[in-house]
Amino acid sequence: MRSTGVARWLIAVPMAILALATIYPMLYTLNIALKTRYDYVIDRGGLTTTFAFQNFVDAWTQANMGRYYLNSILVTVVSVLLILLIASMAGFALSHLTFRGSRAAFLLILAAMMIPFQVIMVPFIKTLSDFSMINTYPGLIIAYVSQFLPFTIYFMTAYFARIPKEITEAARVDGNNIYGVFGRIMLPLGRPALLSMGILNALFCWNDILISLLVMQSPSQRTLMVGVSALRGQYPDNVPTYLSGVLLVVLPLIVVYLIFQRQITAGVTAGATKG
Amino acid sequence: MKRMINSAALGLAAALTLTACGGASAGGGTGGGSGTDGGTADKLVVWNWGAADDAAAAFQEDVIATFNEQNPDVEVEVVSQPFDQYYTLLGSAIEAGTGPDVALFNGGTQLKSRAGSLVPVTDELADITGDLAGWPAFQADGETYSAPMFLQGFPIYYNKAIFEAAGLDPEAPPTTWEELGAACDTITSSTDVSCFALGNKEGLGIEFFLSGFGSGIFTAEEYDAWIDGERDWTSEHARQVLTMWSESSADGWYNEGANSTAMFNDSFDIFSGAKAAMVIGLSSGIAHWKQFDEFLGDDLGFMMPVTTNEGTTLALPIEGGIGYGVLNEDKKDLAVDWIKATVERDAQADYALAGGQIVSNTTVELDTDIASAQAIITELPGSKPLLHTSLSGDTLDLLHRLGQQLLVGEVTVDEAAAQLQASEG
Amino acid sequence: MTALLGSRSDVPTDVRPGTTPVPRRRRRRFTVESTAPLLLVFPAIAILLVFRVYPLILGVNFSFTGDQELNGVFIGLDNYVTLMNDVRFHAAARNVIVVLLFVPIEVFVAGILATFIFLKVPGHRFYRSVYFLPVVLSPIIIGAIFNIVLAANGPLNELNRAVGLPIVDWLGQSNSALPSVLGVHIWATFGMALVIFLAGFSTVDQELLDAARIDGATLPQTIWYVVIPELSQTIQFVFVTTTIGMLTGLFGLLYTMTAGGPGAASYLPEFLIWKLNGEAKPALASAASVVLLLLILVIGLLQIRVLRRATKEV
Repeated sequence: MRSTGVARWLIAVPMAILALATIYPMLYTLNIALKTRYDYVIDRGGLTTTFAFQNFVDAWTQANMGRYYLNSILVTVVSVLLILLIASMAGFALSHLTFRGSRAAFLLILAAMMIPFQVIMVPFIKTLSDFSMINTYPGLIIAYVSQFLPFTIYFMTAYFARIPKEITEAARVDGNNIYGVFGRIMLPLGRPALLSMGILNALFCWNDILISLLVMQSPSQRTLMVGVSALRGQYPDNVPTYLSGVLLVVLPLIVVYLIFQRQITAGVTAGATKG
Repeated sequence: MKRMINSAALGLAAALTLTACGGASAGGGTGGGSGTDGGTADKLVVWNWGAADDAAAAFQEDVIATFNEQNPDVEVEVVSQPFDQYYTLLGSAIEAGTGPDVALFNGGTQLKSRAGSLVPVTDELADITGDLAGWPAFQADGETYSAPMFLQGFPIYYNKAIFEAAGLDPEAPPTTWEELGAACDTITSSTDVSCFALGNKEGLGIEFFLSGFGSGIFTAEEYDAWIDGERDWTSEHARQVLTMWSESSADGWYNEGANSTAMFNDSFDIFSGAKAAMVIGLSSGIAHWKQFDEFLGDDLGFMMPVTTNEGTTLALPIEGGIGYGVLNEDKKDLAVDWIKATVERDAQADYALAGGQIVSNTTVELDTDIASAQAIITELPGSKPLLHTSLSGDTLDLLHRLGQQLLVGEVTVDEAAAQLQASEG
Repeated sequence: MTALLGSRSDVPTDVRPGTTPVPRRRRRRFTVESTAPLLLVFPAIAILLVFRVYPLILGVNFSFTGDQELNGVFIGLDNYVTLMNDVRFHAAARNVIVVLLFVPIEVFVAGILATFIFLKVPGHRFYRSVYFLPVVLSPIIIGAIFNIVLAANGPLNELNRAVGLPIVDWLGQSNSALPSVLGVHIWATFGMALVIFLAGFSTVDQELLDAARIDGATLPQTIWYVVIPELSQTIQFVFVTTTIGMLTGLFGLLYTMTAGGPGAASYLPEFLIWKLNGEAKPALASAASVVLLLLILVIGLLQIRVLRRATKEV
């Protein structure tokens, strides 16, 4: 690897350009969000000169974002916790325990993972309606759990499978039953994976529009992203206000990511043992 | 993994056999929206799309107030859905039995293709028939399903300043297809703006084109037959529409990348921003006289369709735009009160001016000095319904797709005409 | 319905009786140890049976009934016949294959970038943080932004013009619309694959890398002979997760960027089903769901099979 000194710098150039390309859309959105509607129509691409912070205030009040923030936080937190719990239980059983039907169970999960939501949209809503769960928080939560659970199980199964059997066997020797192994060994060791999946599922729930629109029809129960998307009428004309709302939705995600990002990447690294 | 695939196949086969037997039982009994809360009489659930701007919000307040005067104990729950997902959400909700009591519909194809799920209100609305224009868009098979709130039309707007810069007479817009072609040549060669602003991403461009120019292409008899459902896409004049659409693109009338430009609202922003000389716009809602006036002021002009063929009668294409349909039979009376509240004169008069609407209530006088608005109103008496909203949903969707392909030369006029004719069934 | 579910839940175990290596512990039936695995997977399986399998069965049923005036009437295979004559259906089915062709591209891009970050190119910490950012954004927003970036008069075409390349209406031409959407999808999601790769890199034996350096191996040689073999399992895992993302996560982008057009060029199964529901044809949509889901499952599971063992077999 002699030539790597120069090569590294050569490689760094396109990578830096790509990095700019990943940040650029955010800045672009912010720029438009700070324009007045008039400026947006006249000159979409140019830098804002108006700094119309009023757009953010309008978006906040018109989309009832205060209330919807609470709704979204509630639904996201409960959904994610449930997904993580159920998925790590199943992942542990599928990766470390042998039982009749494990193959079929894993197959079901693999298949469920590949179903686009639109495919089962109408019968799914009908099922929820049969359980009288339309327009309820538990209904929306179960919708998210069933949508995002399969992938999380798959991920946790793969992750737990890397933890050597010797570790769990040692814990058994120390007098733990299966639940003890799960609670005292697997969950702590799985923390980095749980954190990654937690963040990812939180993103999915937080950014979802379609499922939330279908399940929550009552205006007061809506989630944040739905409230913001309703800022666009039949004719989406006030783009700056809409994008201001979008930024207000995205902001907490970016903050959370920046707080946890070292643990997500570094954590996964530390937790993984050779597979 | 081989086992996995095999067992997958087996499992699916098992599931299919299981279900094939029970066929009809689970499928039945759907449709016909029962309100979210079943039988509670003191609540009316209303679905519509966006009331994002102040004028629309104020109008909604007015309607609710009028409704509550008659039904003081009934709570109205208005659910604003994003428009781009509206009909799928509504369809899914109706299918799952969780639909609203009353829902907003676009007149024409959208309402007529869903007439099966709606409760007819012909007799209930008979007493207000005389006050309003635009009913046909809300009637199907001899029944009336809603009352039109606004009139929606496709007037052609132009920018007088650009005409002037190109050396054209801003007060004498083209009146024939040849003159229009010549004007476009002049504009594209002597200025750096496009002749027409066009957004065809959703495939809507060709329906604006068909309805916008139709009265100058089809004879009056052909026009009326078309509306009545006697359509021949392989006829001379129908093919002519497709040819004109395709050639206008080849001749460079439109902004670059029209197929990837959203009609709402990017193409109208192009016109507002004076980057195109003309546009086929709307008369209500948005992209209309009031909104263009904000940007162009006195430079905003209105023109009638142009004469393409001899023996045609030019007419402003306009008809009933939007109106509420009744989904829940049990709440029909409340729903009718709601529909009547939406066409109540005073609320309409306020909204007409504040929101820029050509309202359906013919007794409302539009008190504005925006010239193009008055010009539109002057043309109302001789107006005709839109050509595209009488098409079936299938044909309309096909037209959208063929319109995109014609625009970039991926299909020929003959092929397109044959496919459209086949879809008329 | 409980009876139905009961019979369904038996199906998996009965499909291939005796293929799972079950330790013979007959005497210890119903102990904590023997019931634990079943109790641990039960919530997951129950949720999937009730909220995935059962709706699917409803949908299959529904696909044999009609729409509009034929609502609820058994019409046999008519919906399936209608679909076979719909160009949009053909396009959606064909495009599933196009979509899967883009999976290796995303895996390659993420893998090569992760390798460079692992090899600590200048600024690697910064890239690692920033590359994940698009994952945070909703596809609706990303689609809206790229509509502008890819427009005929957008920044990308300005760049083309500047360096003398032709102007391309990326989203307005049949042959470039879907590939453009997929390109944006890769841009938006490679950060996730990158993070997984970086986790996998931690398992690469440092001694092997040192040995390679002592032997004077070049960078490509190191990657080819040391890094890739060590990472085979991670690569397979990324392949599967990327496939899932492509099969289930394209709706938002497609919806905002092309809406299936031009013509039917960029239709995908989920979009067609959505569209048919919006056209007040839910039963036809169900038929489309059944066929396209079978297609997705067959292709998806085949792909996993090609990768042999994505994870340790369970």
